[in-house]
Amino acid sequence: MNDFRSRGHLTDAELFGLAIPAVGSPEALPSHLSDCLACSRALYEWKGAVRDVADDIGPLGDRSSEAWTAAEEQTMHAVRRTRFARPALPLRWGVGVAAALLLFALAVPLHRPTAPATPSGPSASAPDLSAQDQVDDALLRDVARLASAEETGGSWSTLVPEPGAANGEEDRL
Amino acid sequence: MSRRTNANASAAIRFFVLAAAVAGIALPMLSEQDFPEGKWWKRPRLAGEINLSPEQSREIEKIFVKSRTRLIDLKADLEKKQLALQSSMEDRGADRRTVEKEIDTLENARAELQKARALMVLDMKQVLKPDQWEHLLELQQEMRERRLMAKEGRQSYRQGGPFRRKPNR
Repeated sequence: MNDFRSRGHLTDAELFGLAIPAVGSPEALPSHLSDCLACSRALYEWKGAVRDVADDIGPLGDRSSEAWTAAEEQTMHAVRRTRFARPALPLRWGVGVAAALLLFALAVPLHRPTAPATPSGPSASAPDLSAQDQVDDALLRDVARLASAEETGGSWSTLVPEPGAANGEEDRL
Repeated sequence: MSRRTNANASAAIRFFVLAAAVAGIALPMLSEQDFPEGKWWKRPRLAGEINLSPEQSREIEKIFVKSRTRLIDLKADLEKKQLALQSSMEDRGADRRTVEKEIDTLENARAELQKARALMVLDMKQVLKPDQWEHLLELQQEMRERRLMAKEGRQSYRQGGPFRRKPNR
């Protein structure tokens, strides 16, 4: 087991050996596992897969060599299945990035400069006034607007319906 | 009986002629350009431009405070009358004479508001020196023109952008 470190990452067979140690003495773990996150994670997956398989095929004590081979095949199949089922991480990242882009796209139009509001808004045109002064400012502007009947269509004459519109409606009726 | 009716009619005619004269002739003479906008005396930049002293500012504030309640009442009254007229105009079965009366009351309310405002501005004007008043109106006019230009710019942008090419003739 000491030669594990010299060859980079652990092979599937080595992981399998570690996941199912020999009966009697516990297998010494290679020091590579303490340095390599990928291999320790792979071993964790192998052990999980072995447990799953063990649940399916029963106790390990009375197995023939064919049974061991079948168990190995089954375990590797389970490990591969686990690995294929795990591309969720990049997918999760992709979903996150897409959501961020969508939020950005939605937020940009909200920050576009808009046309100034009508003068009735107290704070719209009076950033350097106190709250009461802003209220007064809005009052004076509203009074000016209403008194002159400009800009807002406050004049009663604007309430008269367009003759064309009325005719059109009557035509439809 | 008929003499009394004639007298009432004559009084009513005189009233409406007077109201029309106030609303239709006298008040438009006091154009928007004759009035400063909003609470101008509280704006540091504007007050600095016309060299408004703290005493003048206080005096103008007093004039405004004195008029404020009346302005609020008249504004509310005018808005209520606007709403009433709007309802009548939207009502297909509205009586013509009722609408006519509502128009008159609305315009009278508008004239009252305009009058109260004009008198308040007149009092404020008397606190200022003539050159201060002139300068104030000039500044207001400049601001209006800038706003108008900005508005026109926005409209032209909406209608095709500032760099829209003219069609070849």
